Amino acid sequence: MSHVLAPQQEEERYQAVLAVDPAAPGALDALIVGLHDESWRVRRAASESLRRLPTLTEVAHRLVSVLAERGETGARNAAAEALVGLGDVAVGPLIRLLVHEDPDQRKFAADILGHLGRRSSESALIGALADSDLNVRVSAVEALGRLGTDEGARALEGLLKEPETLLRLAVLESLSQLGWPPPLPVVVPLLSDPLLRRSAYRVMGLIPQVAATELISRGLSSEVRSIRESALGALGTQASVADGPLRAEIDAQTHAALKRVPEAVEFVTQAFENEDMPVRAGALVAAGALREPSLAIAVAEAAREDRLLREVIRTLSRLGPEAGRELLGRMAELSLPARAAAAQAMLEMVDPSYVPALCALLEWAEDDLRAVAVKALGRTQSPEAVAPLVALLEEPALAGAAVRALGVLSRGCREAVLAALEQVVEQRPSPAAVAAFAHAGGTAALPTFRKLARAADPLLRAAALDAAMDVDPAVGLELARVALTDEAAPVRASGARAVGRVGDRSAGTLLKPALQDEDIAVRLAAVEALGESGAADRTPELEELVSHPDGALAGRAVRALGRIGTVRPEVLKEATRHADAEVVKAALQAGAVSAEGVALAVELLKHPGWDVRAMAARVLGDSGGRDSLEAVRAALSLEQDALARRALTDAVERLSRR
Amino acid sequence: MGAQVSRFDEEGRPEMSAEEFRLLRDHVYAHCGILVREDMKFVMERRLWPRLEALGLRDFTGYHRYLRYDAQRRVELEAAVEALTTHETYFFREPNQLTAFTDEVMPALQQRNAPIKRLRIWSAGCSTGEEAYTLAMLLQQSRRFEGWDVEVHGTDISRRVLATARRAEYGPSSLRAAPPDQVSRFFVPLGGSKVRVKDEVRAWVSFGQLNLLDTEACQLVPRMDAIFCRNVMIYFDVPARRRVLQAFHERLVPGGYLLLGHSENLLNLGVDFELVHLHGDLAYRKPLLSQREER
Repeated sequence: MSHVLAPQQEEERYQAVLAVDPAAPGALDALIVGLHDESWRVRRAASESLRRLPTLTEVAHRLVSVLAERGETGARNAAAEALVGLGDVAVGPLIRLLVHEDPDQRKFAADILGHLGRRSSESALIGALADSDLNVRVSAVEALGRLGTDEGARALEGLLKEPETLLRLAVLESLSQLGWPPPLPVVVPLLSDPLLRRSAYRVMGLIPQVAATELISRGLSSEVRSIRESALGALGTQASVADGPLRAEIDAQTHAALKRVPEAVEFVTQAFENEDMPVRAGALVAAGALREPSLAIAVAEAAREDRLLREVIRTLSRLGPEAGRELLGRMAELSLPARAAAAQAMLEMVDPSYVPALCALLEWAEDDLRAVAVKALGRTQSPEAVAPLVALLEEPALAGAAVRALGVLSRGCREAVLAALEQVVEQRPSPAAVAAFAHAGGTAALPTFRKLARAADPLLRAAALDAAMDVDPAVGLELARVALTDEAAPVRASGARAVGRVGDRSAGTLLKPALQDEDIAVRLAAVEALGESGAADRTPELEELVSHPDGALAGRAVRALGRIGTVRPEVLKEATRHADAEVVKAALQAGAVSAEGVALAVELLKHPGWDVRAMAARVLGDSGGRDSLEAVRAALSLEQDALARRALTDAVERLSRR
Repeated sequence: MGAQVSRFDEEGRPEMSAEEFRLLRDHVYAHCGILVREDMKFVMERRLWPRLEALGLRDFTGYHRYLRYDAQRRVELEAAVEALTTHETYFFREPNQLTAFTDEVMPALQQRNAPIKRLRIWSAGCSTGEEAYTLAMLLQQSRRFEGWDVEVHGTDISRRVLATARRAEYGPSSLRAAPPDQVSRFFVPLGGSKVRVKDEVRAWVSFGQLNLLDTEACQLVPRMDAIFCRNVMIYFDVPARRRVLQAFHERLVPGGYLLLGHSENLLNLGVDFELVHLHGDLAYRKPLLSQREER
């Protein structure tokens, strides 16, 4: 490896590090040398290569020793990066380093443990909170902030009364990062310290109490701009964690506080430009409280931050119709996320006067936005919206949205909608036009649907059948019998669905051929229809499908059997062995109320899929007896997945009450 | 029993449970490496509602099954990815970076490629094409590459946005940052508020569908002199970013440039790019001597 030690060019040294064989003797030494290279590229390559060595414990110890090399800043940082990359194996040596005599190294250890984020370092880091060196304590605070454990958060909370400002600042920031609200009385005194105020407001926003709202509101009407801004950030945070009654209180108090602020609209407008996301969130709450339509554009643009979308939509809808018209008129100037949010909010505000502007939007906007405009046209309840919507039935990307919008529009102007659709269905029939006519309640078109059920276009035949089902199930069933023999798969599938919807006693007989259909979509439709119609006479065929390798077919068969109520224990057992977790979940659901199903659920608490384990826990919570409690508790003690843990915890609680 | 009961809002729209969120998120991630953050459940719910509505599905469990099993699942997965990512793009976006590209990167590329008179630029994650056309416009405006074999290649995972890109017709929102003289120079009015990119610009631009995480498919992309990948990496997690950057590294010629969005960087990603301090911006460059991918 001499070429690693003394090559002339950076590129050669870099290539030499990359060429180190991890299994070769001396690889560790060579890479440690690389870690000390003057070039960051070489150091980084060495740091990454160290992870590939077979003796990671030894690597971790060597790297820890590099951390002690004062004056070798580049190498120490590269070693720290490498230790983070090593994962679990680095935790032990770093915990030992936390009690090293050199505070500099203890600090390094705390920093790296924080980046590693392993729960196993929790108690050592809590211990380091009592270190004699302030810098080490601050690093331990930050590390616990990254770890995110409840025990760590509680330990941090206890430090808020410590005398060192730097320490309290780090604690506040870490608690804020953890979303862990400390008790309000502990936070209140910190508001008077200019160095801590901003962070104190930040954590106060996490406290979902009216008393905190009052303090935040007081800050909002402060004469000091920086206090107002901090309070605005707290407001944004508190609004995001508040439930209904507290949220109403927040809105009311914000409104009252802002009335005392001179040039409140200007203050809020400027807050939308703030880099701090909670401050922008607070600006949204404030804008909603002010109900100032001129803020509509700034509010909509706040949607560029995805996390603010909920608050943006809420605020826009509070700004009223004037704001809606402002947004619609300036849609082309908005960013795409703002347009999307504005369009969503606009849906709540539309009236007949919006029709021309919405039609203009249809001319140029992207499809997503046009789809919202289509929906909005339906909500205008204006006869003027009929023609543009009918025209869109011929545009594939928007036809579905137009069908639904015409259905909504027909509630207010049914005659106009039906007349327009009747004409289209007669003259230029399309699947979308047929569907729209049926949605709008066009019983008069039954003869047309019958005629179209014999059309050359199979999609039109299928649509005509669906439409006939919508307006007259008896006619639909009659057409469905013919459709089941159609040469086109979409029509046969439509026929199968129709039989399921009618739920006729003859369903099992009618659907038997469809169960053997060459087209999977028809078979799936038939299985679904059997479940829907409760046709028990096809149980053997459905049972056979339970072990079908296609998870879609197998899962649907299990669900159908569950709905029919004929699922036998051995079939359930078979389904739980399926490779597809969705089939296993269907089996759990189908057998949930039976003793066999409960027994299977206990077994499935060990399933490799987190979603299966979670569902098994819910089944036991719903239907299990107290005798399941032990198994659920045992599963909970081993469970690592957060969602499965949540389901298991809930199950333990419910079972304990039985 | 057992299944989580779907909850609905006052308009009858389904709420997304934590488990539905996780299943859908994991499904999307497995498909294209796009990671929807934990705190984005509300956003995911809002953005997928129109998909449920369009497909006539009652809840997100049904949507997950549709994505798993339906014959149209691939098309729908694309629609879902499209809904979850923001295709915010417009002509002449991020002018500082474009100026730096014009004033500093273009001359370097001109000098280096003069012997072969060939230039290739990749607009990775091009969405509806505004960026790719903007780059072609800037290259033409510079007059440095007249008579050269020039191609700006735009790729995106979504077929739908590519159809828009190929049509090259745009509305006022796409032009909101375009200087009026550029609009009159490079666009043809179509009536109403729409315009179309002129044919001479379109002649320098091509498009193709590409999942940036599909390593094999990336091999089909020719060697590039510069790659623009702006505001795309934000959707990926660290491993996915590394894979994408590795693909970029392989497709760039030594000394080729990588330009990211203004909020993106390569910190802690462990890829072999060097930082280039341009006067108006930062860029990354594949080291001239790096021969890793040739070995």
